[in-house]
Amino acid sequence: MSNPQYMAPSGDEERVIELHLPSRLGYEKVAMDTASAMAKRMGFSHDRVDSLRTAVSEAVTNAIEHGNQHDSAMKVVVVFTGSDDGLIVDVADQGRKILDQTITERTPDIHQVLHSDDKGGWGIWLIKELMDEVQFSVAPSGGNKLRMVIHLDR
Amino acid sequence: MIDDELKVTTRQRDGIWIIDLEGDVTTFAEEAITGAYEGVSKDGAKYIIINSRQSDYINSAGIAILIGVVTEVNRQAQKLAISGLSPHFQKIFRMVGLAQYADIFASEEEAIAAMQRHQKAASEPTKP
Repeated sequence: MSNPQYMAPSGDEERVIELHLPSRLGYEKVAMDTASAMAKRMGFSHDRVDSLRTAVSEAVTNAIEHGNQHDSAMKVVVVFTGSDDGLIVDVADQGRKILDQTITERTPDIHQVLHSDDKGGWGIWLIKELMDEVQFSVAPSGGNKLRMVIHLDR
Repeated sequence: MIDDELKVTTRQRDGIWIIDLEGDVTTFAEEAITGAYEGVSKDGAKYIIINSRQSDYINSAGIAILIGVVTEVNRQAQKLAISGLSPHFQKIFRMVGLAQYADIFASEEEAIAAMQRHQKAASEPTKP
C-alpha cells in the first residue's frame, strides 16, 4: 500500500480496497460501484447501500471538482476498510484547493436557495445526513481528506 | 472512458407535459433538462411532470439543476410533479425540501392522476 496511514490490522488486508481515480467527473461511479459491492457483501441493507453510494459519489465529486480542480494529473485516493462494525471510507485529494471548513458546517435552506443564483451546495450536507460519522481533515501531505463511517445495524 | 449520458425527451398526455429522463442526472444534464423545460414552457405547458426512467444516479449537481427548474416553475405559475424516482431518491428529494415545491410520486400514472385533479380544480368556477 502506498500510504501507511491506511494500513489495516494484520490479517484484515482482504477487507481493504484502495482506488486511485483520475480527477475526471464520471470516475466517481467506480467508487460508488466498489462501495456498493463491498457493502452488499458485508450485509448492509439496500437502503443503506443506496445512502453509501450517494455519500461516496458526493465525496469523490468534491475531491475531483474542488480539491483537485479537475487537474487530470492529480488523483483521488479512495480507501474502503471493512470491519465487523461497519465500513470506513477515506477520500483524499491532492489539495490544489483546501476546503473551507465553514462549508462543512453549512446547512442549505431550499427557500433561500430558490432565490439565489447558486442552486448548489448540497453535497457535503447530504454526506453528513446519510453517514453515521463524518470527519474532515487536511492530510499531512497537504490534501483534503474526508473520512465517513457507516455502521452495520446489529 | 466513463461518460455521463442522459437522454431527455418530451411528450404530452391530456394537456400535461412530461419530460422523461433516462440516465444519469449530474452536472452534465443541465443543458438537456433546462432546454427541455424551456421547450415545453414555450409550447404553453402549465402542468409538467419530470419523469425519471432508469435514472439510478442523481447527484447534488443534478438536484441543483432541478431546483433551478422549480425556480422557473414558480415564476411562471406552472405546476410541477416529479415521478419515477426510486425510494432512495424520493427520500433525498424530501430531505432537500424539493417536495415542498413539487409533488413527488412513485409512478407516472399517479403523477398524471394528481395533475388531472389540479386541472379539474383550476377549471371549476370559483365559488362566491
